[in-house]
Amino acid sequence: MTIKRILIAAAALLWLGFLSVVGAAYFIGLKQAAGWPGDDRDQPIAEKDVAKTEKNVQQLEKRMSGLLPRGPYIVIDTAQNRLFLKNGGQVVREAVVSCGSGVVLEEPGGKKRSWVFDTPRGEFSVKSKITNPYWVKPDWAFIEEGETIPKGMEDRIEAGTLGDYALGFGQGFFIHGTLYTRLLGRNVTHGCVRVGDEDLKAIFKAVPVGAKIYIY
Amino acid sequence: MRKIIAIAAVAAVGFAASGAAAGPDRAALAKKQSSLSSEYTLAKDSNFYFVFDVLGRKIELRVRGMVLRTWPLQAMRFWGRPDLAGSVALVRKTTLKAPERIVIKPGEEEAAAPAPAAPAVKNAASAAAPATAADFDLEALELRDMPKRFSFDFDNGLHVTIKAKNADERGFAGTLTDAWRWYVDLPLRNLFGSREGKAISELELTFDEEKDAQSIYWHFFDGIKGIIL
Repeated sequence: MTIKRILIAAAALLWLGFLSVVGAAYFIGLKQAAGWPGDDRDQPIAEKDVAKTEKNVQQLEKRMSGLLPRGPYIVIDTAQNRLFLKNGGQVVREAVVSCGSGVVLEEPGGKKRSWVFDTPRGEFSVKSKITNPYWVKPDWAFIEEGETIPKGMEDRIEAGTLGDYALGFGQGFFIHGTLYTRLLGRNVTHGCVRVGDEDLKAIFKAVPVGAKIYIY
Repeated sequence: MRKIIAIAAVAAVGFAASGAAAGPDRAALAKKQSSLSSEYTLAKDSNFYFVFDVLGRKIELRVRGMVLRTWPLQAMRFWGRPDLAGSVALVRKTTLKAPERIVIKPGEEEAAAPAPAAPAVKNAASAAAPATAADFDLEALELRDMPKRFSFDFDNGLHVTIKAKNADERGFAGTLTDAWRWYVDLPLRNLFGSREGKAISELELTFDEEKDAQSIYWHFFDGIKGIIL
């Protein structure tokens, strides 16, 4: 009976000890966290340096605004499958598009090549503008369909698939039209950006070669 | 004489007040210079970067100084060292179940239905006809496949947990684990770890929408640089 009481007392003491340590840790942590976010990182500048700092800030702001694209440019959100045609800070047009599916295609047999169907992300520019584009089918298009890769170029050309216009932005990637308008808004492409006919026409007309494209 | 004393007193109070007001202004100016300078360093390159505005309670994805996307925070809590501001780089993003890419191997058994020009629609035959394109279950890696709860480790030791408000699918056990971690484990690690030079900086950010958390996972890649203000 006495041993049992001793054990209960010891357990209670241990528990109380644990609670006090946790309580203390919690209290200390709260005090520490109260100093966050630290606003005192940047010490106030001396009175004599105010003019110099203000000038420096103005210069930095000017440099920053100098980095912004001039004229119309395109911004593409690959997660939401949205394309924004912008000019300055203004959204001129918003379009529902289809971006890369993220699927990996592996070539069967000996060569073992593979392709990742992602829309590339980063800063690009319009490299070419094509009316009534043909699709020159790359190797993966045949592999994906289980067909033999043709030797002649003429067997690779397919008309009508890319819509009425295409804007090339390098490495074989294009912003182009689609036959699969029902899938706009979903990630279904092999890396290109598919746009509906009306939006594509407006974008094609508004954007010159050299215009910036930001894909994120 | 009294008038002179009164004027002097008013002038002294005014002078002191203007000095006190100038203090925060100069601090704000210093902060602005510092943040602009940090951002300009990042914006010079064509890479995307993020700005985590703690006081403004938002995260922004930017390029060339231009805001691409803003995610407002619903809630935020913190343990550990408060000196986490400055320029950082994302070292690693971690989640319980990372989204996996679908691999298509034409000719092999698992790829009985290889993705055509428009990717195959999973279970299209068995499912009731979806009302919109958004209802299709595609063979693709999409925003909806991204986790709603995950964490980021930054190169300055900051660990950030990001979650959507209603995203905890782990039930009561998950709530208990979280409570233990936040109210017992972290305070203890903070107390004892700092003595051993292993101080923690732990931040938890909660977003209203599931899509917000998911799109942060989508857009933040390993190595992305950013500024914490």
